[in-house]
Amino acid sequence: MPRMKINVGPIHPSTHGVLRLIVDVEGDTIMDVEPHIGFLHRGVEKLMETRMYMQNPSYTEKLDYVAPMGWDDLYVSAVESAIGVEVSEPAQYARMILLELQRIASHLLWLGTLANDLGQMFTVFMWAFRERAKVLKLLEDVTGSRMFYVNFRLGGLSSELPIDFEDRTLALMDYLEEHVREYTYHLDSNPIFMERTKNIGVLTKKNAIDYGVTGPVARASGIDFDARKELSYYMYKKIKFNTPVLSNGDCYDRYKIRFIEIQESINIIRACVQKMPKGSVKGAPIKLIGQPAKIDNIIIQHRELPRGEGIIYLVPEAQRPYRIALRSPSYINLSVLPYLSKGAKYADLFAILGSLDVVMAEIDK
Amino acid sequence: MTEIKREELLNQLRKMIEKGYTSLKMITAIDRKEHIEVVYLLYSYNHNKHNVVSVILDPNNLEIDSVIGIYKSADWYERELSEMFGIKIKGRKIKRLLLEEWNGTTYPLRKDYVWGSTYKVR
Repeated sequence: MPRMKINVGPIHPSTHGVLRLIVDVEGDTIMDVEPHIGFLHRGVEKLMETRMYMQNPSYTEKLDYVAPMGWDDLYVSAVESAIGVEVSEPAQYARMILLELQRIASHLLWLGTLANDLGQMFTVFMWAFRERAKVLKLLEDVTGSRMFYVNFRLGGLSSELPIDFEDRTLALMDYLEEHVREYTYHLDSNPIFMERTKNIGVLTKKNAIDYGVTGPVARASGIDFDARKELSYYMYKKIKFNTPVLSNGDCYDRYKIRFIEIQESINIIRACVQKMPKGSVKGAPIKLIGQPAKIDNIIIQHRELPRGEGIIYLVPEAQRPYRIALRSPSYINLSVLPYLSKGAKYADLFAILGSLDVVMAEIDK
Repeated sequence: MTEIKREELLNQLRKMIEKGYTSLKMITAIDRKEHIEVVYLLYSYNHNKHNVVSVILDPNNLEIDSVIGIYKSADWYERELSEMFGIKIKGRKIKRLLLEEWNGTTYPLRKDYVWGSTYKVR
């Protein structure tokens, strides 16, 4: 079989951003993949050192344009612990609801594009986008913008919640639960989808630990770790929810696990709406930053983002970060791609890449 | 948080693996002006605990051992360290990752590189 190198990208519909892959193939079998990243590098870590604390959320949000609120929360909560601000209980519940809504929106976008990559042309994609639009509409009515919210303030949110927020959220959850179930008919009972995902790109538990993957990718390989549960922030400890763990570690499990996560998020939101106490959810205005941050007090903040565990390593200075290091989950999840695709067929490369759910803006930082 | 000498790094990380810290979540560095601090964030799934190992490097001798033989996840982080801070990684050949076309003389995340200094008003 002739051996050759194929260039994929940097602009390619299946790379979900600007990713260049140099694929070394022998016939149809992949011998090696070399990812080239950095096309979207804009030096966020350096930029953030030059800005005051609460000017930065708009930078962190653009890291992951599919689920911006997760990064917003991660950054603002890191600053809260650096400065020493408490978040009130109603605000914690409100944040949890918004974050889970964001997780659902993110997983729906991923589900639609994965089905598209795997030949389910636009059926599931359109449905997923229909549902996602409804979630985004609710988020828009809460925050004022559809995609980049910059909605978190020290100690709470930028404004109070709309009057009919609880009723609308519960109605939306009923709608989602009914419609998301429909996707299984189109995916789980579709022989082509099953053929292209089952036993493709298997990541064993040992390798998943070695390569340091997190989030749904790790849980599909049998690692029982969810920062919401293990590091219990906000009120997650007061709410009963399951973190699904599957063991095969193939593309199908990575699809299935996000699918179950959507349903779990629906349960979390329902419980949060039920338990949310009355009270203000509004945080401090941006101008009132309060006391300066405690210096020499290094903050390591963890959050379970839709793509995995996000970590901020913050070395504070009084008015602005001295150094801020970001661990974006997609960065490490993408670094497994060469290992996963070795020996697979060329057509499987995009099933594997799609199942890892990477966002390039977050990788290039 | 444990601060160790550069020579002890590999031994210390091997000890940490024996203690159950099987996952390396992140490597990063901080330019403290008089020295550069390299930080390894480890996690133990069995004990649900994080731990930080940090190494202080003299700015005139920026070299550190590669830990890729112990933690595979170090790969992309070490490449990032070398191009963002100019830290030499001993024991492996480093290929550029994020900034393929950046000049080889300045290192963007060091404090002596001032943001915006490559532009001027004409």
